[in-house]
Amino acid sequence: MNLATIALKSTRRNLFRSVLTVLGVAVAMLAFLLLRTVLSAWMVSAEFAAKDRLATRHKVTFIMTLPKRYVEDVRKMPGVQGATWMNWFGARLPGHEDAFFGTFAVDPPSYLEVYDEVVVPPDQRAKWLEDRQGALVGAQIAKQFGWKVGDKVILEGTIFPGEWEFTVDGIYTATKKSVDQSSFYFHWNYMNDSLPASQQEQIGWIASKVPNAGQAATIAKQIDQLFEPRDIQTLSMSERAMNTSFLGMISTLLDAMQIVSLVILVIMMLILGNTIAMGVRERTHEYGVLRAIGFLPKHLCTFVIVEAGALGLLGGALGLFCGFFLINNAVGRIMEETFTGFFPYFRVATEDMLISIALSVALAVIASIVPAYQASKLPVTDALRKLG
Amino acid sequence: MIPISYNIRSLAVRKTTTIATALGIALVVFVLSSSQMLSNGIRNTLGKAGQSDHAIVLRKGADNEMSSNLETRLINLIYAAPGVKRDDSGQPIGVAELVLVIALEKPGTSGMVSNVSVRGVSDNVFEFRKHAKIIAGRAAQPGADEAVIGKRLRGQFAGLELDQSFEIKKNLNLKVVGIVDAEGSSQESEVWTSVDIIRSAFGREGLVSSVSVALESPAKFDTFRAAMESDKQLGLQTLSEPTYYEKQSEGTAGLVNYLGGAIVFFFSVGAIIGAMITMYAAVAHRKREVGTLRALGFSRATILLSFLLESVLLSLLGGLVGALASLGMGFVHFSMMNFNSWSEVTFSFDPAPEILIGSLLVGGIMGILGGLFPAVQAARTSPVEAMRE
Repeated sequence: MNLATIALKSTRRNLFRSVLTVLGVAVAMLAFLLLRTVLSAWMVSAEFAAKDRLATRHKVTFIMTLPKRYVEDVRKMPGVQGATWMNWFGARLPGHEDAFFGTFAVDPPSYLEVYDEVVVPPDQRAKWLEDRQGALVGAQIAKQFGWKVGDKVILEGTIFPGEWEFTVDGIYTATKKSVDQSSFYFHWNYMNDSLPASQQEQIGWIASKVPNAGQAATIAKQIDQLFEPRDIQTLSMSERAMNTSFLGMISTLLDAMQIVSLVILVIMMLILGNTIAMGVRERTHEYGVLRAIGFLPKHLCTFVIVEAGALGLLGGALGLFCGFFLINNAVGRIMEETFTGFFPYFRVATEDMLISIALSVALAVIASIVPAYQASKLPVTDALRKLG
Repeated sequence: MIPISYNIRSLAVRKTTTIATALGIALVVFVLSSSQMLSNGIRNTLGKAGQSDHAIVLRKGADNEMSSNLETRLINLIYAAPGVKRDDSGQPIGVAELVLVIALEKPGTSGMVSNVSVRGVSDNVFEFRKHAKIIAGRAAQPGADEAVIGKRLRGQFAGLELDQSFEIKKNLNLKVVGIVDAEGSSQESEVWTSVDIIRSAFGREGLVSSVSVALESPAKFDTFRAAMESDKQLGLQTLSEPTYYEKQSEGTAGLVNYLGGAIVFFFSVGAIIGAMITMYAAVAHRKREVGTLRALGFSRATILLSFLLESVLLSLLGGLVGALASLGMGFVHFSMMNFNSWSEVTFSFDPAPEILIGSLLVGGIMGILGGLFPAVQAARTSPVEAMRE
């Protein structure tokens, strides 16, 4: 029997309390994991966004459009390998007014070329390219609204008023996590032809492909310089930079969540530290005996710290186990379905799992340092004199 | 009844444990109260910009002013509708405005931009929006390239400070000449300039985003609305200002409530377990004492109540600390994107008596939940066995 085994056995001395402590740590870890996952899910949009694709929009306000002829100018730019354009459409599905999903008017052939991570079965792809009123919908919303290929869908426009009729021609999935699988794409021509003459030939933004991430910033600058003397100036940046700036706009919320996740760690330490301190106090007499028969202060320290570490590890593992199943099988699905626009991918990240386990052990050890120190510094005679 | 001073002394004896447990509960109450204060602040900011005797007309189907477009020819038609209040000279009281968001650089970042709401207003805006007042500088002069900004925007963006200027279009700079206080509403996060400047700068000739009118009385809203929406060809929707602003606050306040609620739920489970551990230890530690009390004739119910009281006392102590600390958040301003308008709005944490009392109550309930089982265990103590230990 070595020192660690003695320490581990002492967790069973007050089994009920140990169980409660492990539960407390587990709940804290579960909450921590959930918060980390919310944060990572938000970050995913920036981390996985393309660095080699540029978005060019109106310089001052994203709600104003660009003339469509700008697309040809961008295509002629040296380094640009392909460009497409799209408009934010803005629509609600009658009967599901609260459901939010992105609706975009796109030029299908060039869209599929520039967004090559979007996966559509070949037959559906061919059909969509042909059908002027056809729509390509994300697998997520197709499931949510029960849409199948061939279904007729009517949307109510929020920016372009009226009822718009579409046929679902294809359902897309994606090879990248950052692609929102809850969007609704349809032919730009269908929208453009239905608008009053004054609003025609206007596009929301241009997406262009550049050879590699290294050239993105330079080409973005060149595009903006090209349009600088024109009527409407542009602002170009890589998709990564654009999503990062979006995160910047909600950075205070993200910061608040970071702080809250630290607070939960503090609560966890309080629970653990409390339990350990209680154990040490109750065993004062016993520690005196141990010292009297020759155990050194460092041995007592080891007893206390190993016991705390074991409780932390158990709690962390339990929290991780429950959190993993809860998030990946229940919460994640609900989040992905209800907040698709915000959280296209809501799953526990591997690094967050490792962090939470490491933290629960580390914090347990930290929480036990003071009690351990106190136990080791006890004068033997005093400790022996103390009862209970 | 066992005197409360017995419980207070017992808590005082085990100082470290008491503090640790109370601190855990304090943190829960703090987070609960703060998130409630924030969502209250969001509702106050976004939801209270409206006056009940004002109505806003938007294009049918539009979620907000930004996505709404009305042709200017409709303005006089709206003003002429029944129920619209007229001033002494018989002129209808109303404003036709153009709202959009522009990207401006955040100071202290290397070129990071964020969105600001810009409202193109008519000259009578301060007469129409009585809650808005110039608190520094002056109003913008008609025809001049000038703007006034809400006080919460000061210093939040490059150029948004008194006597500085910002670019809204190439070669068109607007000078900030005044600061507006709008009683904490979201208009304090807006830039106001002349509607003509916005129209020509962004090529929006012949369009406005919304038309707002003053009604003879709030009761006239239905008459006005019926007149507006009876002609389907016009494609208009009419909302009372309070309803409109309430809708604007739903998404963001909902998100904060949802996140805050989930966090608080887990936090409280953790803190309840913490309280339970403490109270079980307290009961185990005082077994002899409890036995003595029973032998002296105190009933099981009295013992149960006493331990429960101790636990509630402990958690109320924590709750009080947490609630007081959350009041400190009242000084914090929270600048965040409003998901309805995609522009940045500065919110504050607005305390309210019911939030503080509610959070304290939750703290107390945590004490009851954490203390119940240990108290039952204490009450079950057999006097003879306990005194033998």
